[in-house]
Amino acid sequence: MFSRWDIRITPYLLIAPFFLVFGVFGLFPLLYTAWVSLHDWQLADGNQGFVGFDNYAALLADPLFYNALFNTVSLFLISTVPQLLAALGLAALLDRSLKAKTLWRAGILLPNVVSVVAVALVFTQIFDRDFGMVNWLLGLVGVDRIDWQAGVFSSHVAVSAMVMWRWTGYNALLYLAAMQSVPREQYEAAELDGASRWRAFWSITVPSIRPTILYTVVVSTIAGLQLFVEPALFDPKGTAGVGGSDRQYQTLTMYLYEKGFRVFDAGYASAIAWMLFVVVLVFALANFMVTRRSVRDS
Amino acid sequence: MFVYGGLAAILLASVFPLYWSFVVASKDNSALGEATPPLVPGGNLFANIARVFDTVDFWAAVQNSLIVAGSVTVSNVLLSSLAGFAFARLRFRGRNTLFLVVVGTAMVPTQLGVIPLYLMMAELDWYGQLQAVIFPALVSALGVFLMRQACEEAVPPELVEAARMDGCSVLSTFWHVGLPAIRPQAAVLAMLTFMTAWNDFFWPLIVLDPNDSPTVQVAVSTLASGHFTDYALMLAGTSIGVLPVIALFLLLARQVVGGIMQGAVKG
Amino acid sequence: MRALSHRCQWAATEIAEHVEEDGMRNRTVRVAVAACAAALVGTGLAACGGGSGSGQTRITIATFADFGYEDLFAEYEKAHPGVKLENRKLEFDAHHSQLATQLAGGKGAADVVAVEEGWLPKFRTSKDKFVNLAEHGAKDLAGQWLDWKWNQGVTDNGSYVLGVGTDVGSLAVCYRKDLFQQAGLPTERAEVSKLWPTWEDYARTADRFAEKKPDVKFVSAAEQIFLAMINQAGEGFFAKADDSFVADTNPKVRAAFDLSAGLAAKGRTSGVKPFSQQWTVGLKQGGFATEVCPAWALAQIAEGAGEGAKGKWDVASVPGDGGNWGGSFLMVPKQGKNIKEAAEVAKWLTAPEQQKKIFDKTGNLPSQPSVLRDPAVQGKTNEYFSGAPVGQIFAASAESLKPNYRGTQDSLVRPKFQEALLRVEQGKQQPQDALTQALTQSRAELK
Repeated sequence: MFSRWDIRITPYLLIAPFFLVFGVFGLFPLLYTAWVSLHDWQLADGNQGFVGFDNYAALLADPLFYNALFNTVSLFLISTVPQLLAALGLAALLDRSLKAKTLWRAGILLPNVVSVVAVALVFTQIFDRDFGMVNWLLGLVGVDRIDWQAGVFSSHVAVSAMVMWRWTGYNALLYLAAMQSVPREQYEAAELDGASRWRAFWSITVPSIRPTILYTVVVSTIAGLQLFVEPALFDPKGTAGVGGSDRQYQTLTMYLYEKGFRVFDAGYASAIAWMLFVVVLVFALANFMVTRRSVRDS
Repeated sequence: MFVYGGLAAILLASVFPLYWSFVVASKDNSALGEATPPLVPGGNLFANIARVFDTVDFWAAVQNSLIVAGSVTVSNVLLSSLAGFAFARLRFRGRNTLFLVVVGTAMVPTQLGVIPLYLMMAELDWYGQLQAVIFPALVSALGVFLMRQACEEAVPPELVEAARMDGCSVLSTFWHVGLPAIRPQAAVLAMLTFMTAWNDFFWPLIVLDPNDSPTVQVAVSTLASGHFTDYALMLAGTSIGVLPVIALFLLLARQVVGGIMQGAVKG
Repeated sequence: MRALSHRCQWAATEIAEHVEEDGMRNRTVRVAVAACAAALVGTGLAACGGGSGSGQTRITIATFADFGYEDLFAEYEKAHPGVKLENRKLEFDAHHSQLATQLAGGKGAADVVAVEEGWLPKFRTSKDKFVNLAEHGAKDLAGQWLDWKWNQGVTDNGSYVLGVGTDVGSLAVCYRKDLFQQAGLPTERAEVSKLWPTWEDYARTADRFAEKKPDVKFVSAAEQIFLAMINQAGEGFFAKADDSFVADTNPKVRAAFDLSAGLAAKGRTSGVKPFSQQWTVGLKQGGFATEVCPAWALAQIAEGAGEGAKGKWDVASVPGDGGNWGGSFLMVPKQGKNIKEAAEVAKWLTAPEQQKKIFDKTGNLPSQPSVLRDPAVQGKTNEYFSGAPVGQIFAASAESLKPNYRGTQDSLVRPKFQEALLRVEQGKQQPQDALTQALTQSRAELK
């Protein structure tokens, strides 16, 4: 009696906590946000009346929304694509017989331990216009100092540097783990066929670790499109800023924050939140498809 | 040789910003304005740390962070392992669909629900209380995903079968067969959860009372409440704030690195 | 059942030994887990042990920066046994947006909250979230304050008292004597004041300075000049009469923008954000020759520039008319549990005796004529600023100035112009284009 009940019901009990926690603290706010987005809703004063899809219509006509969308996608591409490629290379480097394995592996994971606030502070100083280390180094080789916050591209590069620093090692370890389960005989066979190391890497290693690549692409997409603390603290005004003098590095989440917590327009901010959700969903799926296609099975 | 040179350079790049934050924390704020950026620690570290302790109740913050990160870690590892085990090794109706739902929830932007979540916490009278930060993090989609992966890899189905034949209940099968097998991956999840909870900043800043119940990150952010932003002071705060996590990391480095290697999605 | 489960455990242990790998039962893991558990238990106990005091009324006061309240709290607690005062401090912007969230949630706000003058109009629209201090006897005290300061804190034709004023920020200009000397400019504060009766004269002085000292910027940011000029105008971005947006037609906005953007375009400004890390470092390096300084900014400059610059700074009068920049109000959110006591605290903290003590300690300028005329206040000098008679300089102008009218949406529009000036400083735009963009963005925001 007990054991039949056990087999049928217990699995649901095991997964129930997740659904309970998500339902209360994830789903409810999500639906509530949808509800708020259909109203003229001021943060402090609350509901000012139903407006239907007005917030969404205004958002789709809002140039600042597209600006934030552009920055978000650009930052995502500049930080994620080189990051994953670098992680692949790093993993290949570590996928040899090495001395002091744990040292290298723990070392590249270390950036991931540091809080993002500390990372942002340090990198903002490193990229400082007047006294930053990068400009100092550039000065040594005779290059004029760069006002990193001022330009679109330069600011995106600086913010991406923070993201890359934090996550490259982590992804490299994931790749390395997958690489170690690639059968060595395959490499030997390729070598016999006269294939170069470079060729073997692209035609054997990469296809073999396809699932891991897919996983990291999707996870990086989700995190990358929600980028907030790094660019926000890169602005000297902090969270009170709008991502530079011309919003050149304001991401969607920063725009959400500006509308919600600076302008107090909770209805509009909620509409941005939902658009962000859609963008994340579309990109995660698209990247999944593209990656699955371009990294062919072995 | 070339390989080791490259690795050493990468290691240097990984460690340098962290080292440099200690350098700044050990100097007077104005040192950042010198023509040559400071590279060697100065003598102000303890003075700056003392200023941190004068400005905020850092011990209370460390205690609060330990309570939050500790309970979130224990709970997330346990609940995620249970769910992961169920998804990987138990048969039940709707298993695949439910798992897809779990993965799908990871795509919900965390900042999306801040306002309603705050309203809810206010309704529960949890404002300024640590459970407002703990409860939403009790179990995570990423945790369930990783633990399912771990069970797929490390828990042989035959052993689960054998345990059941011997009359083990589902729970004791999990406890005696599942959990021991996925220990290394559980250690990774523990480390990642602890780090995330320890470093979380956006939500605690909103829902916790910076005076009564700050976590370390909230306390650090109140360091910016002076007349102006003082990097030496703030980085002194973040530097001592990161010490417990680094200690844990070093203690667990072998397990964590090993665990990430084992827990990865294999080709 | 029991027999079964015994058997199961035995079998399971057998099985478990198969899956085990040596690395896993590592001692370090056990030690770490034990340590974590111990820490948890320990902190849990400590948290239980340190609970709240017995039967005390606790009043929290949320502020930003330095209000100079610490000593006053002790004094109040002594006079009111059973009341405990506590200061919550956050960074300026975080403080105000957190307050809005707390008003939205209906819980969590401090019993007394400070709201800065620039943010006040935004909260005025949510007046029903705040206690009308008129019901707690504040109205009888109206005469204590400068008229204009009192009026900023009330609404509904004065019947609804939202907040009581703390300090005001009448304007002056701080300057580095040593840098002025090196540039061949006068250094005596009376003569320096004569250099710039108007802002145009100030800009010309900047040019003269730059000829001799091209490496030093004349002022940290163009927005300093712009905001000072706006604060001197009776009307800025919005019309006093009907709160309509007039920035595009108001010649004073235009003049302020042209002048400050002109300084920016010529490279006379550094383009750093005031009160940021970069600003502090610039100050310490002696990178700015002048700073616009409202009374409350003296402490910030002194602390930012550090001991090394003591005696190198001095205070001269501001070009143009008097004006006010900053200053705050204490307000009591309705959601608090001890509204009556909170209102008493707010009134007490803003009372003349306390304002006088705060001025002495922090230099935050009192907002009440009786205090401003007090000989002790009038006679106050500031050592750091070469013994400048700050009491005289600031108190005199506080009484005569006409404050700038703040529209309800002022805090939304203002940053657009600050960003525009930054674009000019960064060389991204010409002044005219920057202004056009600021106006366009402002209009879009107000829709």
